Amino acid sequence: MTRFSPTPFPLAEAQEGLFYAQLLDPANPVFNTGQYLDLVGELDIAALSRAVAQAGVEAEALRLRVRSTGGQLVRDDLRIDLQVIDCTAADDPEQFALLLIRADMATTVDPAHDPLARQRLYRLAPQRHLWAQQVHHLAIDGYGMVLLTARVAELYGRYLAGQETGGRALAPLAGVLAEDAVYRTSPERVGDAAWWRDYLHGMADVTGMAPGRAVSSHSFIRTEAALPDDVRLALLDRAKSARLGWPDVLMALTAAYCRRFTGGEEAVVGVPHMGRMGSATARVPAMVMNVLPLRIASGELLPLDSYLAQVADNLAQVRRHGRYRSEQVRRDLGLIGGDRRLYGPLINVQPYDRPPRMAGLQVGLHVTGTGPVDDIHFTFRGDGRSTLSIEVDANPALYDAAAVQAHGLRLATFLQAALRAERLGDVPTATPEEARSELGRFNDTAHPVSAVTLVQLLEEAFRTHRDAVALRLAGMDLTYAELDRQTRALAAALQARGVGPEIIVAVALPRSLALVVALVAVLRAGGVYLPLDLEHPAERIATIVAGAQPAVVLAEDDPHGVYGAALLRPVDWPDAGEPQACAAVPGNAAYVIYTSGSTGAPKGVVVEHRAIVNRLLWMAEQYSIAGSDRILLKTPATFDVSVWEFFLPLIRGATLVVAPPEAHRDPVALARLIRAEGITIMHFVPSMLAAFLAAPESDGLAIARTFTSGEELPADLRDRFHRRIRGELHNLYGPTEAAVDVSYWPAGPDDESRPVPIGHPVWNTRLLVLDDSLRPVPQGMAGQLFIGGVQLARGYLGRPDLTAERFVADPSHPGERLYATGDLARRRNDGAIEFLGRADHQVKIRGLRIELGEIEAAIADTGLASAAVVLVRGERLAAWLVPAAGYGEAALRAALGRRLPAYMVPAAIVPLAAMPVTVNGKLDRRALPEPDFASEGGAAPATRTERRLAELFAAVLEHGGPLAAGDDFFALGGHSLSAVDLLLRIREEWGHDPGLATLFEVADIRGLAARIDGAAEADHGVGPLIVLARGAESPLFMVHPAGGLSWGYRTLATSLRPARAVYGLQAPALDAGVAAPESLERLAHDYAHRVDRAVPDGPVHLAGWSVGGVIAQGVAAALQDMGREVGLLALLDAYPADCWRAEPEPTEAQALRALLAIAGLDPEAHPELTTREQVTGFLRGSDSPLGSLPPAVLDGVVRVVLDNNRLVRGHHHRRFAGTLTHIRAGLDHAHKPQLVPSSWGAYAGAVECLTVPFLHPQLTGPEASALIAPLLSERMARFSPVSA
Amino acid sequence: MIDYATFREQVAEYLGTDTLLQDVNLMDQGLDSMRAMNLALEWEAEGIPLDFADLAESPTLLGLWTLVEERQGS
Repeated sequence: MTRFSPTPFPLAEAQEGLFYAQLLDPANPVFNTGQYLDLVGELDIAALSRAVAQAGVEAEALRLRVRSTGGQLVRDDLRIDLQVIDCTAADDPEQFALLLIRADMATTVDPAHDPLARQRLYRLAPQRHLWAQQVHHLAIDGYGMVLLTARVAELYGRYLAGQETGGRALAPLAGVLAEDAVYRTSPERVGDAAWWRDYLHGMADVTGMAPGRAVSSHSFIRTEAALPDDVRLALLDRAKSARLGWPDVLMALTAAYCRRFTGGEEAVVGVPHMGRMGSATARVPAMVMNVLPLRIASGELLPLDSYLAQVADNLAQVRRHGRYRSEQVRRDLGLIGGDRRLYGPLINVQPYDRPPRMAGLQVGLHVTGTGPVDDIHFTFRGDGRSTLSIEVDANPALYDAAAVQAHGLRLATFLQAALRAERLGDVPTATPEEARSELGRFNDTAHPVSAVTLVQLLEEAFRTHRDAVALRLAGMDLTYAELDRQTRALAAALQARGVGPEIIVAVALPRSLALVVALVAVLRAGGVYLPLDLEHPAERIATIVAGAQPAVVLAEDDPHGVYGAALLRPVDWPDAGEPQACAAVPGNAAYVIYTSGSTGAPKGVVVEHRAIVNRLLWMAEQYSIAGSDRILLKTPATFDVSVWEFFLPLIRGATLVVAPPEAHRDPVALARLIRAEGITIMHFVPSMLAAFLAAPESDGLAIARTFTSGEELPADLRDRFHRRIRGELHNLYGPTEAAVDVSYWPAGPDDESRPVPIGHPVWNTRLLVLDDSLRPVPQGMAGQLFIGGVQLARGYLGRPDLTAERFVADPSHPGERLYATGDLARRRNDGAIEFLGRADHQVKIRGLRIELGEIEAAIADTGLASAAVVLVRGERLAAWLVPAAGYGEAALRAALGRRLPAYMVPAAIVPLAAMPVTVNGKLDRRALPEPDFASEGGAAPATRTERRLAELFAAVLEHGGPLAAGDDFFALGGHSLSAVDLLLRIREEWGHDPGLATLFEVADIRGLAARIDGAAEADHGVGPLIVLARGAESPLFMVHPAGGLSWGYRTLATSLRPARAVYGLQAPALDAGVAAPESLERLAHDYAHRVDRAVPDGPVHLAGWSVGGVIAQGVAAALQDMGREVGLLALLDAYPADCWRAEPEPTEAQALRALLAIAGLDPEAHPELTTREQVTGFLRGSDSPLGSLPPAVLDGVVRVVLDNNRLVRGHHHRRFAGTLTHIRAGLDHAHKPQLVPSSWGAYAGAVECLTVPFLHPQLTGPEASALIAPLLSERMARFSPVSA
Repeated sequence: MIDYATFREQVAEYLGTDTLLQDVNLMDQGLDSMRAMNLALEWEAEGIPLDFADLAESPTLLGLWTLVEERQGS
């Protein structure tokens, strides 16, 4: 009676995607689809059972077995019978039944073994039943479920009426499979593929309505509501007047709603497609449906009917090609894996989905699941004429329950307004209640602040804290009283030159005491300070000075000749003087800071006293700033973060610790400064914080409060901070145009926010997330961030046009202004704001604010290009341009270099015959060719430094190809962390590095090599203490051998595992100005103090080769005398002075030849070199690093070498109480039996003797290091690490 | 009750065209499942009991009219 179908057949294309998804996540029950009918009235259970069984016989898909290898077959041994479960005895039969239904839906079904379908009837009462159907998605789709249900209902009616099985039977699966097979090889499919490729061409990356990866969870969040009748009727009316089907109108409006959340010009929504036209599939319950990507362009400004017609036409087109699987489209477009998606939200209009008619029963339909929910599904069920409901299903990994519920309510409100609107642009997204929250609850920041100037706050502190330390610089203290005196004197002088309220004084001074005095004095004189960056190009400084017309310029000199008579140099500042009382009032300007301007010229932001006073007092109270705080000044005065660094300590009686000019560029120096000075409060731009945390020296630091601002704080960086540093981390946000910062967020160790919010507004400040019509947007939706309140800047100096453009009237506070930040933001449900990026062309590269328009304008001004566009690619700037007469890349770069700071000159310049444009005549950004950052080509590295630097670039960046001298580190893919790596290697190579800030500005091989060589003129890596290797483990100090240089230890130092901080001690006498040490004892004593200063606590390790070993033993003894713990003391083939006293003194020629060995050359190969001149001349021609030393330094090496014999022979060892580890060069000393390790026995607590199979000169080479490094590492590991 | 002219006009409106061929598959003339669904709902509202599957099984103008005529009588 039953057909037997033993032959497996392949999966239909529609099943494949689900099959693989379930295979990847076999325990996921979300593939169950289901519904239950609430049956009220007299039910004939026998008739229903019979109908269900018969439908199960007809619907072959319900009996599918899908094997894990992909084949499937229909099981004829299986019956899908109705199970009846009596719940009448339960306390609450309905709840009990629903619980069981939900439990079934949450149970994973194994398609290879379990039945794919389940039919259950829950008896709640004699007159009430729930009939639940559950089918795996592989076997059915939404319409299939409708067919199945309708068939059961039909059969039920027939049986009830005493008829036999009949009516329209469900059709066999074979029809679906045959149709699928035909389509797979049809020319139609080829045409569809081409059509989709064309339709989706140029599609931007698809996003959802909430951030995160759209991969279905094991469940979804559901909210459902009936669409109010007036909305439903308005829909029917609008559809009728627009002569469109209401499902299309509903689709178009819901898509418009979604687009507002996905952001961008275009949204791509998913549209479920039944795909059942044609006799073969019309009556088969099976999985046939497809999801079509529908591109929805913004129609906000079109007449609504035009927009609706456009979408309806669009829908008709995509449906015409709806048989082509979206899984295949994804494969065609390469949208596989990662975050790549074909569509965002899914919009499903199901007019057919309504309760079936069942004889004698009232029937209610409840859908319990429709399969995986990757992102969010908006489903409308009902015929429209009598009923229509909204269901919102969402992925709990992306949305919380409140957000889902809000979408349901808000969408209904949106539809209601949109259906009556002339155009979408007139319809707000936020509900009235949400708009009220945005304007009220989230911005409830009123806080009393007295009407005072910054000068009054400063002078109050000067009076109250006279003897407290106001400022520390290079270990020197300045009291408040002294700062008071000096700033009074200068203020008086400034007033004498006409400075008073609204009069600008430019300040162009390096970070110094003079800088602090200058700023305070300008304010006390009643004036306005304008900081200038000494490193900016002359033209830029001239432009600023010409625009700002400062009455006085406080600077060391006038290198570009632009200050003229206004220059007042610190040497000319008076020592005493009494100014008149400051005449400034809170409404007067306090400072002007210039930022990049899109029109081509930098623009000066004028900030008034009341704005900055609000900001400073808020911070002082929010973070309880007290007299005991020590606040680090390290930000350049031209960056507005410096404003609180300068003044926050000075209004609270705290201490401003001024970082030495270069310290902020060097993580090691910075960490040391923080430790030594007990810094409690400091600031980092996040990219610099990342670099700082990457340096081993920052580990274990304690800083009470660290603030970040200036760019996004990545969540991973927050977490890394807390793993390394003890203290609070606070994320601040604000543009220069609103007195430094306007929002704050405590990014503590328990903060799990991703992304890290910029938080909540500060005192007397409004942060509004608004749409293009300045309407509040709801929580969760991106909008532009606007700032209102007391901290707003007055505007741009001398540019009322630019001011009017960015400072707009606040529609909700008549008479007040809002600053349009140009930043995109989103408000979380708790009110905290998340920063999402820029709405315009302002970008930040490594924390530096850049208007791309300023660069484009600068290019235009050169006259070398007729059109130009500048964009950010990766983390780098690229320019595309159409060359004009006289164009050459070098000429353009030179011209730009005169106008722009180095970081604003594009890394790649691409000449084009013409700019690509879209059909609308707009620049077609997607059609711009990718700039070639790989290598600029051009000249190969020329100098020794350039060649070596190119090797380091290649190593750090894992770059294979040859590099050119013009290649840029960041352009080649370098980032903040690899930058630190590069600097470490530069330091290892040259003994010093130019600092991160320099690298950020000058990142090409030629430029960087010039900086390295430039610094080398002053410092050739011959300093008394150099860094040989970096690491977190307790430090090892290696004492130089005879030549006085420690460079030779580099290989050994970097071979230690785990990585360890290794310092090289070098002879001070390398410097001709330093006298030779009187004795080795004295030298060892000096070295011990140098070690103690460098590493103030914890154990230290010592090692030395040859003469270095002899000195190391002396250093160890001296350190012990000082009470310091010495861990390892390792002597590499070194023997006590006693062994040498009997030896004849070597001749000068012999000593000089030893120098050849130090240089890594074989002395025996060059017997002809006997004089100082010959040896140095030979070295200079060699590849040895010694050869690159300037003559004076090479002379120093020779001097040190020659002096060694005197020192060693005159030395008398003192005892070191610990263990001395001796590593003997086992292949040497056959002719010197007196050189035995045991001779150290008299001078050490114990001697451990180790031997390696090398000659004495080989001990620091790579082969010996490979053997010796583990021996040293193992021994040093026995000592506890440095405590923080 | 609807006559053939009204019936044809309804279909033409849904497909946004005036030139409909009687015996060519309506799918090739722009009928998709959503439009078929809407037509079925519209006729049903006028008292003609047709469902989507009926339309899907006979997707030509003539085939549909045969069905409509048949069901109007029932």
